[in-house]
Amino acid sequence: MKNTLKRRNFIKLTVSASGALIAGVHLQSCMPKKPQAEVHQFSPLIKIDTDGWISLIAKNPEIGQGVKTALPMILAEELGANWNKVKVVQADYDTIYDEQWAGGSYAIILNWDLMRTAGAMVRQVLIEAASKKMNLPVEEFITKNSKVFHTKSNKTLPFEELIAEASQIPLPEEVEFKPTDSFEIVGKNIPQVDLDKLVSGGAEFAIDIKLPEMVYATVLKNPVFEGGVSSYDDEDARLVNGVIDIIELNNAAYGGRLLGPNSPNFVNGVAVIANSTWATFKAAKKLKVVWDNTGSRKENTDEIFERFHAQLSNTSIERKDGDIAKAKRSAASSFEAVYEVPFLAHATMEPMNCTVDFRTDVCEVWVPTQNPEALQEGLIKLFGLQPEQIKIHLPRIGGAFGRRYYVDYAMDAAVLSKKTGKPVKLTWTREEDIRHDWYRPGSVQKISASLDKDGMVTGWQHILANASRKTSLGREGGPAGTEIDEYDFPAGFVPNLQLEYGHVLSDVPLGQWRAVASSANAFTVHCFLDELAILNKTDPIDYFLKFIGPERMVPVVDDYEFDLKRLIHVVEKVRQNSNWDTPLPEGQGRGFAARKGAGSFIAEVVTVSADENRKIKILKVDAIVDCGIVVNPSGATAQVEGGILEGLCAALYGEITFKDGATEQSNFHDYKWMRMGEVPEIHIEFIKNELPPRGLGEPPLPPAIPALVNAIYAATGKRIRKLPIVQ
Amino acid sequence: MPSYTLTVNSVEKTVSVDTDTPLLWVLRDKLGLTGTKYGCGKGLCGACTVQYKGNAVRSCTLTADSVLEGNITTIEGLSEGQNHPVQQAWRELDVPQCGYCQSGQIISAATLLSKNPKPTEDEINASMAGNICRCGTYTRIREAFQLAASKLDE
Ligand code: FES
Ligand code: FES
Repeated sequence: MKNTLKRRNFIKLTVSASGALIAGVHLQSCMPKKPQAEVHQFSPLIKIDTDGWISLIAKNPEIGQGVKTALPMILAEELGANWNKVKVVQADYDTIYDEQWAGGSYAIILNWDLMRTAGAMVRQVLIEAASKKMNLPVEEFITKNSKVFHTKSNKTLPFEELIAEASQIPLPEEVEFKPTDSFEIVGKNIPQVDLDKLVSGGAEFAIDIKLPEMVYATVLKNPVFEGGVSSYDDEDARLVNGVIDIIELNNAAYGGRLLGPNSPNFVNGVAVIANSTWATFKAAKKLKVVWDNTGSRKENTDEIFERFHAQLSNTSIERKDGDIAKAKRSAASSFEAVYEVPFLAHATMEPMNCTVDFRTDVCEVWVPTQNPEALQEGLIKLFGLQPEQIKIHLPRIGGAFGRRYYVDYAMDAAVLSKKTGKPVKLTWTREEDIRHDWYRPGSVQKISASLDKDGMVTGWQHILANASRKTSLGREGGPAGTEIDEYDFPAGFVPNLQLEYGHVLSDVPLGQWRAVASSANAFTVHCFLDELAILNKTDPIDYFLKFIGPERMVPVVDDYEFDLKRLIHVVEKVRQNSNWDTPLPEGQGRGFAARKGAGSFIAEVVTVSADENRKIKILKVDAIVDCGIVVNPSGATAQVEGGILEGLCAALYGEITFKDGATEQSNFHDYKWMRMGEVPEIHIEFIKNELPPRGLGEPPLPPAIPALVNAIYAATGKRIRKLPIVQ
Repeated sequence: MPSYTLTVNSVEKTVSVDTDTPLLWVLRDKLGLTGTKYGCGKGLCGACTVQYKGNAVRSCTLTADSVLEGNITTIEGLSEGQNHPVQQAWRELDVPQCGYCQSGQIISAATLLSKNPKPTEDEINASMAGNICRCGTYTRIREAFQLAASKLDE
């Protein structure tokens, strides 16, 4: 496949003082839709050392999703590198790398072509250098194992011997990608690059950073959202051994809602600075703070959900196809159901923390973030810094799941380092972490269908009412946000369809949670379809296949269409793999759901058993995934396993509740997570094809929830419309 | 501040800390052994699991003065050359995702296998129940148990 380069100057070859060949890039300049500025600066992506070792930059934050391995694999593949002599180096934040964030299952989608292009370009230059040196035509060379290989004579030249020649060769205007069937790295099970460190305690997370002269900090924040500090007594806290200072963190003093309603923000509270983490935790407990909660709505969960229910009849229309009223009038029958979805916390295994050294006019940060760009923006606004004064390191991250889009904890740490004049490591307790999350919004959803005489859908109305993450920290005047989008399934599949949104304002901070709105909407839509199938006395998979119709491209919105061939294929395959059509013993049941997400197609079947007391045991999950080319099967399978378990766990237990404006849960005893004994067998199969790879972090999660709920119905006859399942 | 002598990975270490300082923070902040992680501080998640006198314990719930009598093994000292059969199995199956819980998981697994080289599934579930993996590596951990047990057999 040939790729003519519009922006050849996004890459530049230089030779370092030590004699290494460095391919520097300016990825920002080759992103479409970005102003095409003159490029002067480059950041390294590939470095070929004189000893034959190759360093590859991992540009995106590693949150456990495997990009630190997968993106360099793509580079190495096109380059023809010997993976056993590759060192992967984590990049710091650098705008030149562009799109340097983790989220939305986008890392592979956005970087596949870029990594291939950069790798292929350097490969072509090395080949040209070899062809010059050996005086043989370029067409007769390939690269393999970090060598240029002359296919006719079997002669080889190692990359490191071509550095001087290569650096003199102008970069090609056209690159040719390797044929996918010649891949030697992509598509192989490659163990993640930090594996040795991870099994020996040697992987450094941000929470492990220790700087000379560093002090430790923690915060006690007003548990009530939108509350403030009225006064505090820190006498007892200061008596704790090792306490250095007590500092009030005041939202208004630091710019208030600095970056708008959906951005870094400070919750008012009091910080403890001490010479150890333990001293900060201990002293924080001894602080006596009088909170000022006059600005809070003092919300309770029941009352929030009452408002959601009420808002079902006060909505805006997000999409309207055909005429649902007309469909209703001519319907043979109709059906409706109302579902409730709870708020959820992220509870990443590594609690929020950040280390900042802001002793000089440079602010140096070690931060577990998915979104370094937001942090840079926040620091610029808060301290009036220039981008060059901000240095953000991106250590490995102990889980993110969307929580770390928000950089509130990092902003706190910067304020504290500035105030103390010391490097500060801020660590939140688990309690602060759960109480000051940016929660997955709860919602109430009502779906109504008009049905023809065969029980098939002729009209579909989906109303979702909640407080939106897009207007988070609900004050008037924020951007209007909805939690139901015009492209939400089954838009494009039903001639008469209406998607509506009822917006409620709330103080609760809301944010992205793995799979975002799909984590809630897949439950309601795919359970509703299951209900329709049962109503129609049809097998749920048969009903679904009839509902989506024959193989074709379904246009949903501009530049988003649905290739039904791929969806039908994963559905049929999961039917087979799960033995769907073989009856189960009494007390067991199977449930099904299939979706498209982040460009990938996934079908899942969950098998459960339920005893007389309706105690549920999840026995097995079968999943079929079509995400195009699977870059690293080991990492990809892990994403699917993790996504499925997270969905199942959220469906069973996940619930955050509020009382008088504060979160009621605080740690893993009341925000329950799945344990080993509850984990089902999981069987995953990937569809093999040559299509460009698509996202995998999010898509496995949403279908697991309705598949589980539908399985419980199949096993017990009990229809669950309110999550979590275990109340 | 009182001072205590602890045996960590078979080496004696003397630290000055308040009596109520949990072993977790002695290891992390005083001794620089950051492989042991903080996850909950309440004995609920297992991220801080270490061995004390050969038993898996939650280092966040034990104060420094209560662990003076025997050896404390952290992930850093589990084996020579990081080649414990459990670590080998973990590597072969590429178990970790984010990795944050993994030191605790490995210590719990190694402890069970040291007492019971052929655990049943129920025994594995019971002794791993205190270790949360937020990323969902459980199915691979289960597989890694089988592999590690077979390595111990050789
Ligand atoms: S930190 Fe000790 S069990 Fe969670
Ligand atoms: S690997 Fe992330 S918590 Fe277990």
